[in-house]
Amino acid sequence: MSLVLGALTIGCILALLALGVFVSFRIFAFPDLTAEGTVTLGAAVSASLIVHGFDPATATAMAVLAGAAAGMVTGILHTRFKINGLLAGILVMTALYSVNLHIMGRSNIPLMGSATFTTWAGKLAAAGHLGETVRLLGRDVAVVDLTVLGVALLFVVLVAIALHAFFRTHLGTAMRATGDNPQMIRALGASDDNMITAGLALSNGLVAMAGALLAQYQGFADVQMGIGMLVWGLASVIIGEALIGTGKLGHLFAGAVFGSVIFRLLVAVALRWGLDPNDLKFITAAFVFLALVSPGLLAKLRGPAGAENVNA
Amino acid sequence: MLEISNVRKTFNAGTANEVRSLQGISLAIEEGSFVVVIGSNGSGKSTLLNAVAGAFTVDEGSLSVDGHDVTRWPEYKRASLIGRVFQNPFSGSAPHLSIAENLALASRRGKTRGLGWAQGGDLRPRMLETVKGLGMGLEMRLDNAIGSLSGGQRQALTLLMATWLKPKVLLLDEHTAALDPRSAEQIIRITNSIVARDGLTTMMVTHSMQQAVTYGDRLVMLHRGKVIQDFSGSEKSRLRPEDLLARFEEVRRADLLDSTAAQLLRRRYI
Repeated sequence: MSLVLGALTIGCILALLALGVFVSFRIFAFPDLTAEGTVTLGAAVSASLIVHGFDPATATAMAVLAGAAAGMVTGILHTRFKINGLLAGILVMTALYSVNLHIMGRSNIPLMGSATFTTWAGKLAAAGHLGETVRLLGRDVAVVDLTVLGVALLFVVLVAIALHAFFRTHLGTAMRATGDNPQMIRALGASDDNMITAGLALSNGLVAMAGALLAQYQGFADVQMGIGMLVWGLASVIIGEALIGTGKLGHLFAGAVFGSVIFRLLVAVALRWGLDPNDLKFITAAFVFLALVSPGLLAKLRGPAGAENVNA
Repeated sequence: MLEISNVRKTFNAGTANEVRSLQGISLAIEEGSFVVVIGSNGSGKSTLLNAVAGAFTVDEGSLSVDGHDVTRWPEYKRASLIGRVFQNPFSGSAPHLSIAENLALASRRGKTRGLGWAQGGDLRPRMLETVKGLGMGLEMRLDNAIGSLSGGQRQALTLLMATWLKPKVLLLDEHTAALDPRSAEQIIRITNSIVARDGLTTMMVTHSMQQAVTYGDRLVMLHRGKVIQDFSGSEKSRLRPEDLLARFEEVRRADLLDSTAAQLLRRRYI
């Protein structure tokens, strides 16, 4: 049971990553590799601040700002210096590796014994006087684990609602239009360059937030923890779209959160059944490949009538 | 209202693909004037509109709109003064956004976009009323993605979007050329009624001689990046399609003469 709770909690935290990837990849159609560096950047900034005595909320907020700054750099490289989007992301991701090492001062920072959002949730559980464990679905479950999950879930849901609201404002709608038709948004008086840069800042802020909370939950920040994270986020977004659909803006955000939780749960079950953890990234990549090509393949199999079903 | 002075633009300068698109064009367009621009392929008519809109910066000359020198303004900044409809009906709207969201974007053309609700205030009832005015039944489908509509419907909405906030200059770049004849007729009629109603200063590029003689109060003919004819007033209103075709033929002959004369001279002297 604690395995399931752990998977659900990490799924919730990584839902922030999925939301960030959704913003760059789906709204701006920009495969932003910066995310691989900003996950670690978020973890590094928050872990360093926490071991220096800052409270978890401040540390997480600073991590988000750092992530947004990294996203802005990618945006500026792409829009002002006309560097291909993928390459701009790779450049910033590579540079961030050194930046992260400098921030941490070493390759790994343990957070054992420091105040993090997890210990904060633990205090909340103790204040509730619910005892050590509760019976849930016929199993004994630690109240602390349950509270941590509850806090993570609540937080992610609030962020998703805020994003959904943001993308229905003047600014948010203009950002969505930029990804859809940059020519049109220029003709309506908004700089598509500025929109892309702001969108990448938003996206990487979310990704850094995921990194910060992940480090606090697992109790350490590691300079390698960002590897494969973009594909992980893509997998979550794709699962969410398959399960909840793409009909409305709200569905898309709910889908990204839901997809992340389901994906993490599937992975936990597979590992439990004896999947070699070393194969995990290969399987994730293969899954995203299949998910990206299968709509086209299915349409081909169905013949010309099905071909017009392909949507972006 | 719109002042084009001695504008020149050469694409791919210094290469084998060098194209001298605009070779010193000057036009002064008064407020409320509806100017039709015609010309053969490659005459620079669309390029001229793009130069005004700011799709590229001109090599020489200057452009001013409503007293602002916009020669160095980027495209998005000029949009505060200029409304545009493109030849491709898919260029003017965001396909995955709804009709209402597209119109909401247009309602902020050239203004700052903050964190207010995109469809807040009295925007929604105004959309219903305005879209109903098109007579296409689209008012029932305000929340449908605009990508699900036909080219004609999208072009009609783009026209509404370009004129939602009264632009200082409206640019229409062969905006009926990609439509079927019935839709084209519908769009040109809607265009004319909006331009007349709001007294918009308009530049319309067209391929259709019929449109060129029927609409507008001034007609400018371009050839090889230069203005070769400028009809206005009663001269414009007396024009028939045949006159324009005859003028085109004349220009074509002159071109032929140019090249044959050059050959003749070459044979004789070289």
